[in-house]
Amino acid sequence: MLNAEFAKRRRDFTVRFSLQLGAAQSVGLFGASGTGKSTVLACIAGVEQPDNGHIDLGGLRLFPPSLPLYQRPVGYLTQEPSLFPHLSVRENVRFGVPKREASNPEYVSWIATLKERLKLAPVWNAPAARISGGQARRVALARMLVRKPPLVLLDEPFAGLDRQLVRELIDDLIFWSKSVGFSMIAVDHQPEVLMRLCPESAMVLEQGQVVQRGAWSKLSSAPATPLLRSLLAQL
Amino acid sequence: MAIRRWIARLGAAAFALALLYPLSALFAHVGAWQWGTQVRGPALSSVRVSLLLTTVAMLIVVSFGTPMAAYIAQCKAKERLLWQAALLIPILVPPLALGILFTLAFGPYGGVGRLLNHWGVAMTNSATAFVATQVYVGMGYYVLGAVAALDAVPPMLQKQAALLGLTPIRVFFRVTLPLARLGLAVSLSIAWVRAIGEFGAVVVTAYYPSGMPVQLWVDLQSFGLPAVMPLLVIFLAVALPLPWLAHVLAQRRSNA
Repeated sequence: MLNAEFAKRRRDFTVRFSLQLGAAQSVGLFGASGTGKSTVLACIAGVEQPDNGHIDLGGLRLFPPSLPLYQRPVGYLTQEPSLFPHLSVRENVRFGVPKREASNPEYVSWIATLKERLKLAPVWNAPAARISGGQARRVALARMLVRKPPLVLLDEPFAGLDRQLVRELIDDLIFWSKSVGFSMIAVDHQPEVLMRLCPESAMVLEQGQVVQRGAWSKLSSAPATPLLRSLLAQL
Repeated sequence: MAIRRWIARLGAAAFALALLYPLSALFAHVGAWQWGTQVRGPALSSVRVSLLLTTVAMLIVVSFGTPMAAYIAQCKAKERLLWQAALLIPILVPPLALGILFTLAFGPYGGVGRLLNHWGVAMTNSATAFVATQVYVGMGYYVLGAVAALDAVPPMLQKQAALLGLTPIRVFFRVTLPLARLGLAVSLSIAWVRAIGEFGAVVVTAYYPSGMPVQLWVDLQSFGLPAVMPLLVIFLAVALPLPWLAHVLAQRRSNA
């Protein structure tokens, strides 16, 4: 489904990345801070452009040429929830629903499901600028999932949240990745978060290069680099 | 600590009083204010001219200035500098000099002026000249302020909106514009004040129809201070509340 191979120059190194990911599969991108993990996601999302290579998603060419953001069937969740502060929670969640689909029973029912599962009812009509950080992450997650994107990119979306909330959000994501059937690429500097979110496989980046990929068990038993060994030792 | 704070507060109050002191002249003894037919007719006409034509000028400023500001806000640093330098020129040129240049460029001596004359558009002493001068005077203030207002909208919000399926134009209207609206209002209010109060350029390009600043000057020359005071009060009353309110609202929003 996702077939990507690209390079992107950064100030101190070049990020080189390649990945083939099937439908409803997930992969965790793991590595120390500043190794180019976020750059990889930004290139796939389209908020940054690779210097060369190609990115294809389910028969759709994302790059090159760079497909406009509004045509990319990609959900992108970052550390900052980036809610629209001038809108209410309800308006944020419904933001991506085309006007002509607003009363479509399928959308209405899907939004009601998201609202219930993510416990958004108490803040549903509140201004997005007035809700707590944890609630904002839930709203951002709901807003992204409304369109049921086939590929979801998660760039440390749980940073700064308490463990209980992170656990709940991960459970929600796993639940929906199975029920909706989207693929996931997740970035986090905490291996335990990634192992829960993407238990199937992982990729390790160091200085922009993929130094190891495969099952988590393989990474743990035979880490490719000393840095990876020390990062995994925290587990 | 409290004493220091009070001393600072007193200093600030003295500063504000000094700044507002010229307004006390509204209560100066200049003799009985004149509001006879000789003064009233032209004065009320100048109020109408100023309000109507400045509104038209501001509509033009917003219609053309906002897309320009949106374009500049997306430019890289070097190109942005170029546009901003161009916008600064009408701001920096002294008003009287701008009026003379404007008359020459759009009068019978200029290429565009000849063309406009040929089409029957008078670019001196006409409503068109009045509006065009105000557009030139206010445009730079509006666009530079609007660029700053648009810059303040986090780019990630615009990218998220696009990733949710919105085309660039819809992102602008649903995210960028609502988030920048107070900054845009403040920029427009500055352009409004600058345009409605413009004298130096307008007195050269559009002595007729006379707006309030020109009429104030005419009244001052012809009848003296007692004839100026009523129009001065009207001038302040119609020119100041709108921008003042926009600034206060913007400050409230940024302090919230």
